[in-house]
Amino acid sequence: MSRRRIRARFTIAALATFAIVVVFTFRLVDIQVVQAAQLNQQSYDSRSIEVTTYGTRGEVVDENGTVLASSVDRYNITVAPKVILGTHGVDSTLMKNLDDIAAKTGQNVQDLVAAVTKDPGSNFAYLAKGVDTSVFRAVRDLRIAGVAFEYAPARVYPQGATAGNLVGFMGTDGPLAGVEQMENTCLAGTNGTESYERSQDGVQLPGSTVTQKAAQNGGTVKLTIDADLQWFVQQALGEQVQAVQGSWGTAMVVRVKDGHIMAAADYPSVDPNDVNGAPRDASGNLILGSRAFTNSYEPGSVFKPMAMAALIDQGKATPTTQTIAPGWFTTPGGERFTDAWAHDDIRYTLAGVLVNSSNTGVSSLVERVSDQTRYQYMQKFGIGTTTAVHFPGEDKGILRPASQWDDLSRYEIGFGQGVTATSAQVAGIYQTFGNGGVRMPLTLVEGCEHPDGIVTDVPSTQGTRVVAQKTANEMVNILEETVTQGSLKSTVHIPGYRVAAKTGTAQVALPNGQGYGPDHIVSVAGVAPADDPQYAVVVTIGMPHTITTSAAAAPAFSKVMSQTLTTFRVQPSTKPAPYIPLTW
Amino acid sequence: MTTIRPPRIPETETAAPGRASAAFRVGVRRVFGAEGPTYFLLLGTTLFLVVFGLVMVLSSSAVEDYAATGDFFGSFVRQGLFALIGVPLMLIAARLPVRFWRRWAWHVMIASILLQLLVVATPLGHNVQGNTNWIKVGSFTAQPSELIKLALVVWLGLVLAAKVDRLSSWRDLIMPVVPIAGGAILLMLVGNDLGTAVVLLLMVLGALFFAGVRTRHLAVIVVVVAIVGFLATSVSSSRSARIEAWLHGYQGSQYEAWAYQPMHALFALASGGVFGVGLGNSKMKWSWLPEADNDYIFAVIGEELGLIGAIVVLMLFAVLAIAFIRVIRRSDDAFVRIASSCVMVWVIGQAVINIAVVLGVLPVLGVPLPLISAGGSALISTLVAIGIVLSFARAQERRA
Repeated sequence: MSRRRIRARFTIAALATFAIVVVFTFRLVDIQVVQAAQLNQQSYDSRSIEVTTYGTRGEVVDENGTVLASSVDRYNITVAPKVILGTHGVDSTLMKNLDDIAAKTGQNVQDLVAAVTKDPGSNFAYLAKGVDTSVFRAVRDLRIAGVAFEYAPARVYPQGATAGNLVGFMGTDGPLAGVEQMENTCLAGTNGTESYERSQDGVQLPGSTVTQKAAQNGGTVKLTIDADLQWFVQQALGEQVQAVQGSWGTAMVVRVKDGHIMAAADYPSVDPNDVNGAPRDASGNLILGSRAFTNSYEPGSVFKPMAMAALIDQGKATPTTQTIAPGWFTTPGGERFTDAWAHDDIRYTLAGVLVNSSNTGVSSLVERVSDQTRYQYMQKFGIGTTTAVHFPGEDKGILRPASQWDDLSRYEIGFGQGVTATSAQVAGIYQTFGNGGVRMPLTLVEGCEHPDGIVTDVPSTQGTRVVAQKTANEMVNILEETVTQGSLKSTVHIPGYRVAAKTGTAQVALPNGQGYGPDHIVSVAGVAPADDPQYAVVVTIGMPHTITTSAAAAPAFSKVMSQTLTTFRVQPSTKPAPYIPLTW
Repeated sequence: MTTIRPPRIPETETAAPGRASAAFRVGVRRVFGAEGPTYFLLLGTTLFLVVFGLVMVLSSSAVEDYAATGDFFGSFVRQGLFALIGVPLMLIAARLPVRFWRRWAWHVMIASILLQLLVVATPLGHNVQGNTNWIKVGSFTAQPSELIKLALVVWLGLVLAAKVDRLSSWRDLIMPVVPIAGGAILLMLVGNDLGTAVVLLLMVLGALFFAGVRTRHLAVIVVVVAIVGFLATSVSSSRSARIEAWLHGYQGSQYEAWAYQPMHALFALASGGVFGVGLGNSKMKWSWLPEADNDYIFAVIGEELGLIGAIVVLMLFAVLAIAFIRVIRRSDDAFVRIASSCVMVWVIGQAVINIAVVLGVLPVLGVPLPLISAGGSALISTLVAIGIVLSFARAQERRA
């Protein structure tokens, strides 16, 4: 073959090389420019993964910032039984792996075997729930195929049962009681979404994270209560309820000037960390909330000062107004009732009626104002409507309008029967007396501080004048006589402080509505110091057995009031109590 | 087997007798001045590709190396060491006289085939991803197939140059090319290394083409090879699957076995766009693209350096081709022409196949990109082969 033709072949080779370069360049342009967007989308879809980022649920703290509820990182350990069992089933390798896991989680390995073998074909089962971060890391580092983890933030209540009745708790799907439920919109964090690109073996590619929606942490709910006082009140209440073998009790401490609840105790009470261990009521239901808000009852004599205040405020009577308390009181319709003790006609002043808690005495006075006026006063005192707390499940009690009052209830309502109220509502009455006649909205939540510093859910500080200041002060002075001369003389004594209080013993109506049974609900409500009231306290005990009078609740009232005055360093009383004649 | 000894060619470059100063001048020229522009074009392009390859191997292997061994630099250091061995070997080869290659052609050919026999027939053979193409002694592994390519270069040059005037006869054409070269290709196929077999076949066809074998004969050979190739493909399910995936385009089937890798190569290229995502920023090298530092390194180049980088690489190989053709066209020696064209077909052909596979123009063949892909034996043998061509270029300059 000629040299020339061979040279021609090299020319062909050069041309072919050139042609290939051109073809490749076209192809490169096709891929890298023309089809790029479509291919990139396809590629991104296969590479990127969307993940949930978690907004942390906010804390619940007391007035001083003591944490009552907070969120912690917890993890569930999950397993794909199908993967971990493989084709070999339960063999020595699997047992070793499960032993390793059990050693980290502190579980019984047999439980793990049971979890894995329960449904061998399934792709999902739980090995352990709610393990903490150190256990999660330890198990993760075992690198066992088929074992995975899910983030399951959990709620802890560092103060345990203290304020457990108020704080409430979280169920699996959300808040189920208390502040957790009441302030859920504040506390709840919002989960966000992020996507990142990952390597084929799941490593997050640097710089590839895109936040679609940022996670938002929940706000911090600040309560008005003082956790230390709350503990003491719960303790004192619990001891007293047990001492008198009662079924339940509530105790509430309210700062009179602003209606802030400093403590609200329940007995029995729940530890939110162990909800299933909570006490149960007679029907076997768990007792989870706060009876102080959710349970209304016929309050009895603690209502009497409210009826008398209406009279004084209307100018129809004064503390020294003279009346006669008959042994039996007969209504115009012929209904008859007596006092708790048998007596002949007694010449009581209005103060004497209250101090001696005479039903017949009250009845002899209440007619001085119209039913409608009394009804309006009771409404202004907050009876018949829920408190401003709006606690979950809060009861508003029963207050029938004046037009529905019958022959008997017209008088009964004056001494706290035929009408119901919660301990919180009763506390509101005494707060009003203590605050010079201005009822402040009862407040449990001081506010919700969001992560950005904005505070919402700030309670109203708008008070309502219920009675004139003079009326309120006179009422406090009268009630002080109960402690100095009346039934609480021997049980309520706080050295250095003048205390004004009222007892109440109400019979519990039979469920069938046919009158009253043998059970009582006893309470003591009052304010201190009487010369400049700072705090109102209400202690109520349900169904006491060893003592069925208000004396059952009095020691707890005394302790709670004493501790409250000490805790908040209230100045002792300096002026002596005024004298008010009780009889004439 | 008959051994054809090459006739001794009188040394054309023997120093001319004469004055001492002239002899001295010639001596200096032999040491320093014998290299012309073609030599440096070839040498420069090669060295640039090697250094560029090292950078790309580092970039594309770092992530997977770290995942596997905890060391980012494993592949890079190994490749660097091979370059440190290969480049001096190339420079030494460039200084060897043409007669050296003639003398050792047969020995190297036979030795390399024996080595390959060890690979496919003895336990010394080492299987990497389905290709029994490696010899392993202790912790040392090497690919005798790369030595076969090198041997084929000088052996085909020698054998075909000796018969350059008799190639119109079928008998001279077939003996001894078909048994020896065909045997070598067969050994590759036995080792399941289709890619290398295709490259060897191209080298043989290229040598025949540039040796001046009649077009008619070439056509017959190509037809025979095509039929054999078709039959071989039909009996191997994995090969027909690869071709099937290629024929249907890789679109929408990225998780099917044979489409996964080429599809991710396209993803890599697409993500690069015109200017690339920047050196080191490839996402596909995060275990998505198998063989990112090897058969698919061109995809990572396209991703990190973009259309521009990819075209530069294409241009560099085109420059290599031009340098080869310049050496070939200037040579009067059939041995030099045929051996050089063999190297050209090897390096350029392999690059074209590799890039064509990455671009989805050809089905997956498993051929690395010469001088750039990670792989020690391949780098060293390619460098030595280019060294041979450099020695030819040097000889031309000296004669000139």
